[in-house]
Amino acid sequence: MFEYLNQPEVIKYIVTIGSMTLLFIGLFGLLTQKHLIKIFISIATMETAIFLFFIGNMFHKDLFAPIITEGFTNVAQMNDPIPQAMILTAIVIGMAVLALGVSMTIEYFKLTGNTEIDKMNEMRH
Amino acid sequence: MIGFIILVVFIGVILVALSAIIQPKLADSIILFMGVGLGSVVLFFIFKAPDVALTEAVIGAGISSLIFLMALKHLKAAS
Amino acid sequence: MSIKRTLPTSVLSGFALSGVFILTILKLLLQNTPQEMQRAGDSLLTLNANEGVANAVTTVVVYFRGFDTLGEIAVLFIAALGIGLMLSENKRCTIKAQSNFMLHTGAKLLFPIIALYGVYVMTYGHLSPGGGFQGGVIVASGVLLLLISHRDFEVPHSFIVTLETFAGVSYVLIGLIGLFTLDVFLGNFLPHDIRDMGILLSGGIIPIIYIIVGIKVGSEMSMIVQNLIKRGDDV
Repeated sequence: MFEYLNQPEVIKYIVTIGSMTLLFIGLFGLLTQKHLIKIFISIATMETAIFLFFIGNMFHKDLFAPIITEGFTNVAQMNDPIPQAMILTAIVIGMAVLALGVSMTIEYFKLTGNTEIDKMNEMRH
Repeated sequence: MIGFIILVVFIGVILVALSAIIQPKLADSIILFMGVGLGSVVLFFIFKAPDVALTEAVIGAGISSLIFLMALKHLKAAS
Repeated sequence: MSIKRTLPTSVLSGFALSGVFILTILKLLLQNTPQEMQRAGDSLLTLNANEGVANAVTTVVVYFRGFDTLGEIAVLFIAALGIGLMLSENKRCTIKAQSNFMLHTGAKLLFPIIALYGVYVMTYGHLSPGGGFQGGVIVASGVLLLLISHRDFEVPHSFIVTLETFAGVSYVLIGLIGLFTLDVFLGNFLPHDIRDMGILLSGGIIPIIYIIVGIKVGSEMSMIVQNLIKRGDDV
């Protein structure tokens, strides 16, 4: 069984199905939960799933990390550095937006006293 | 051997994420979300991307979960 | 579990329908994934050897896509500004319990080690995995440890503002100097020999820019963390 799981097509199947399942778990949490903090946790889980999908599809077991050191100088066998640079930026920006949303939640709680989205109906009159 | 390890870690991350969303208490949910970040650090390391693994370890499993915990203290839900 | 009590039947049938939708998307994704992915980074890896920097991801983030890093720093600055404006001022300390002796002493012992590790990761970003973002957030988490364990500790506001301003202005100034000498914004105007690959002073302006990014990110994250702890409590 170990040799069957080491083939490149099977690894791509595992990565695609796994990260899409994580994305839809996050979507389920976004649609059904009532507390605001749990909605933010679901959004962060969806972002993590997308990063795993990006980096996982570039995997091949003969490549090595894109850093030139003593014994590893063959440039043609390095991993791709462009998706890693983009995902680095995306992780930092996702964290910054999450912090801003959480501080908005704190201010709203100080103003009205509830954190459930069912009871937010100030604009319904 | 690598395919088996990837499969096991993926199943672990999916189970922990499902458990994090279903929990009724909020403090358990945040700690389990930290577990999702930790599992994804292991996966990034296996996929030969060390910079992304370091960034996700410091930001995802460090500062992001701590921001949630500090918000929990202000919302008085942890008492 | 409290999920089954709150979901009506219409929501459950909606999930079943979306399950069919999900399977269609997965089937399309798995059929059209090419066996050999096209790589955009092959030409960049050969160009990277001309800069004399060992870490290819650092060159892509700082030199080839340096303008995007400037935009990302701007987004972080706007987020920190929004958090600082929104949380209201509070004159009382919000940590009520007196921390015990072990936490007090342990934090004083651990903070210099954490700060040293953060500065190491920041400075050696072009030789090993690391860089400005990672090192800055490590220093900010050390500041968070000090904020939790000591009740009266506060990073002075003017100090953080000076650091942030200096880092942001010097990033743009270095880009403008590259524009005037080499006709390229953020051009590499310091000597970058390829025989120097692997030692600390190599790569021209790349380690300098990453250190500036690390200072700015570290001070901004410290400001965000301090605002979230010290402000925003009603009692």
